[in-house]
Amino acid sequence: MNAGIDLRSSFIETLQDLGLPLGVSQAFWIPLPSILMIIGATVGVLVVVWLERKISAAAQQRIGPEFAGPLGVLQPVADGMKLVFKEDVVPAKADPWLFTLGPVLVVLPVFLSYLIIPFGQNLVITDLNVGIFLWISLSSIAPIGLLMSGYSSNNKYSLLGGLRAAAQSISYEIPLALAVLAIVMMSNSMSTIDIVHQQSGYGILGWNIWRQPVGFIIFWISALAECERLPFDLPEAEEELVAGYQTEYAGMKFGLFYVGSYVNLVLSALVFAILYLGGWEFPIPLDKLANWLGISETEAWLQIVTAALGVTMTILKAYFLIFIAILLRWTVPRVRIDQLLNLGWKFLLPVSLANLLITAALKLAFPVAFGG
Amino acid sequence: MFKILKQVSDYAKDTFQAAKYIGEGLAVTFDHMGRRPVTVQYPYEKLIPSERFRGRIHFEFDKCIACEVCVRVCPINLPVVDWEFNKQIKKKELKHYSIDFGVCIFCGNCVEYCPTNCLSMTEEYELATYDRHELNYDSVALGRLPYKVTEDPMVTPLRELGYLPKGVIEPHDVPVGSQRSGKRPEELISE
Repeated sequence: MNAGIDLRSSFIETLQDLGLPLGVSQAFWIPLPSILMIIGATVGVLVVVWLERKISAAAQQRIGPEFAGPLGVLQPVADGMKLVFKEDVVPAKADPWLFTLGPVLVVLPVFLSYLIIPFGQNLVITDLNVGIFLWISLSSIAPIGLLMSGYSSNNKYSLLGGLRAAAQSISYEIPLALAVLAIVMMSNSMSTIDIVHQQSGYGILGWNIWRQPVGFIIFWISALAECERLPFDLPEAEEELVAGYQTEYAGMKFGLFYVGSYVNLVLSALVFAILYLGGWEFPIPLDKLANWLGISETEAWLQIVTAALGVTMTILKAYFLIFIAILLRWTVPRVRIDQLLNLGWKFLLPVSLANLLITAALKLAFPVAFGG
Repeated sequence: MFKILKQVSDYAKDTFQAAKYIGEGLAVTFDHMGRRPVTVQYPYEKLIPSERFRGRIHFEFDKCIACEVCVRVCPINLPVVDWEFNKQIKKKELKHYSIDFGVCIFCGNCVEYCPTNCLSMTEEYELATYDRHELNYDSVALGRLPYKVTEDPMVTPLRELGYLPKGVIEPHDVPVGSQRSGKRPEELISE
């Protein structure tokens, strides 16, 4: 496996060639990936909001947004601008501190989780050795923010919504973590880069989705529940709870919840792509193809092509999953709270435990195929 | 021991069935995505109201004999008929007539019972105003005729479902010059 493109060292080298000292050029590099990732995530949200509206419209035989920009692509921007300029209302008897802190606590961990999302061999902010564990632990901060905003709104619907969100997140965290644990056990590492590497080499056949047929379903159900997507959108079930914990929110604070939920969806899709769909890997093993065609791995243009293809593949896989999530939204009716908890504790938890045990057994029995 | 095995297998069967149903549902939703939008793009496209459409009421001042039948048949006695008895010609003389469309329920009883046919239904339904008092139409406003959808150059008129030719259910792809299913009234008379 070759190292691929190292943007960091080439960027620092270029700055040094321009006459800057090493420390200064390194300092210039530090904020770049994070800023790029935040911009990428925000643009990703705009795209997802547009896709959601267009696909929902198509599923219901409507047209959807079409006047703001070509095919309505500027509609999410218009929505965002509206939210920014709206009055920021804090209800009279609400706790202003908790009320403000709630949405921030919901959004921050989601953006923070982008730290560990790799788009290519070196296209990741930090290759933490606890990578995927960081994502799980960060995602359990969000329910605190939801509970906070629900409690501080001084509104019974908000409180109920917040409590439901907390109950849902806690119940689905466990099967999610167990499904991830099976993957971690097969990869012998929690680093997202290593997880992708472990799946590489055989193209589409090497992806974890074939080795974890139960695990990926559990992961997808739990991820949808964590994102409060439609079959599991009980915390904001509009027929029962107005808008759940968001009821009292307006303007940019509501905007934060809105952005947070969509960033979370994109994030879950990306993590799914990394864990089960081979991350940035192309369905055909590219390095083998290059060898077969007689092209050297170290050729510059090949590396650029593979890097670009890697980023495209990651995003393509993630958006395919988002498409499935949107399609599911218009197919599956919302579950009741008792059905939700039943599904979480009585079905997903035992099945994911069994899946973990079977994976462990298979790893001992066939160390070649299951990452011994 | 066997009982619990049976429970597990039943549960597994139920799970697979549920998964199958979700899959079928997804196929239906996916199939709908390829179909044409059926929505009427309102300010640019409008449905042609049917001939029995009960829209805003039209009133012909000169035909009215101020009999007040419309008031009596109205569920809420809505029309206001202001008349004076003219002793010279020994007839009622109508001075003002008004209907408040903010209160009217468009039941059409007044139109049905008017002895001189001075009341009639139009196909106008765009009655939005900034002030509800603007909906209180006097005899002048009641005498105006609405703009026809088919004559508006800004609007693409679309036929309603009952007026489409046989086999067509989408007003957007009606063949030009095609007729609605069934026979026209004049054809029925000539038979």
